[in-house]
Amino acid sequence: MSIPHSLRTSITPTELELVASQQLVEIVPLISMERTAFISGAYGPLRPPNKAKVPLWMAFNLKLKKKCHIVAPDWLNVEYLQGKLSLETTKPEFSSLPFRFAEISKVLLDVASDDLENPDRLRSLLKDLREARQAKSRDGLKTLDHSELSLPNLCSMEINEIRPFFVQSMSLMSQLMPIATVGSLGDS
Amino acid sequence: MDWDDEYDLQTVGGGTAGPSFMDRVRNAAPDEDEDEDIIPGVLPVINETPLEQLIRHWTNERHAPDLLAAQEDLLANLLDHLRRQSETVQLLRGDASTSEEEHIRIMLAQVEIERVKFIVRSYVRTRLFKIEKYARYITTNAEIQTRMTAAERAHASRQANMIDRHLYSSVLQSLPPTQGHLDDVDPLSTSEEPKNIMITEPDRTRPVFAHALQNCPPVHLPDGESLKMAKGHISLVPFYVVEHLVARGEAELV
Repeated sequence: MSIPHSLRTSITPTELELVASQQLVEIVPLISMERTAFISGAYGPLRPPNKAKVPLWMAFNLKLKKKCHIVAPDWLNVEYLQGKLSLETTKPEFSSLPFRFAEISKVLLDVASDDLENPDRLRSLLKDLREARQAKSRDGLKTLDHSELSLPNLCSMEINEIRPFFVQSMSLMSQLMPIATVGSLGDS
Repeated sequence: MDWDDEYDLQTVGGGTAGPSFMDRVRNAAPDEDEDEDIIPGVLPVINETPLEQLIRHWTNERHAPDLLAAQEDLLANLLDHLRRQSETVQLLRGDASTSEEEHIRIMLAQVEIERVKFIVRSYVRTRLFKIEKYARYITTNAEIQTRMTAAERAHASRQANMIDRHLYSSVLQSLPPTQGHLDDVDPLSTSEEPKNIMITEPDRTRPVFAHALQNCPPVHLPDGESLKMAKGHISLVPFYVVEHLVARGEAELV
């Protein structure tokens, strides 16, 4: 009954999505509901057409039943992402994005693309962002040593992506370390 | 008990420690936090709901090479809450007079119950995996046992016993007596008490991604430098470097 093999070394993208779904988003409900106590907290009341803040999983379920519109978070629009993308391609460091932006934008684009402005453009911007950042994190491998690697502004999905390779490389380097002269390898 | 009782219960006694549950909901940081900062998901630890705590412990446990401290009380509280919530849902489902609007509420509550159950299950199974893997280590190490519940300790010793018996009956008994034990030591070791290399130990040097939840005191890195992680900082470091920060809830593994 212990956890299956495939899940032992790392968390999966689906599980990251589950974690991210706990974050609050704004919705415009199409049904009314009293304030209700859930395990993660009390949400509501829903009073159309007033906006309400609910966790993403709840918005997701209501949306599937066509009982609400989801209000896009303020970072999920063409203008904002365009700005981030130009930062990303001109500056060497990672630009700051919400920690779980990849998961949240995926869920929203999957179920609520009709609530977003220009979803196709958003998709391609997110993809460009991802690629620009991926190139940087691969580049970051150069600075990896046996002791520490700082990864400011890296997001949860990106960490998960580089995890297997980076963790193994670093383990290997610390195994080799006692042989090399301590301290002669890079600084961080 | 019906829905509103559950609601009242949360209002009155839900928060076993500190401010009542409703106070925490009202003063909840997420709303303000999101506006002030671009890094959501980083809340001061004090404002965490029990579920958020469990999610943090679950991801920590998933990424840590060693077994972390058991969260018996937190788990018991959540399981209790799960049971109460399931009972409420069952009760309302059985009631034919429930309205359409009520059905949505019931559906949402059920969805949440399944979500929480998944996390609880995955958390427990992750610990189980480590306990079974390190069973023989656990039985010889008193320190790691302090991080386990009584049931987990019992499971570990049963498991270790079974492995020993199995290895003995399948292989060891037919080997020459000098090789017939599980006590080989590291032949290259020069220390007085060489380590038994036939016991699988957690690899505490395995690198992990640590995410500082608050400004952390400096930690010592293997290359002799010290690192001061400010709130929000993410670092790939060997597990033993940040172990104490994770245990104190000052950093989480991501």
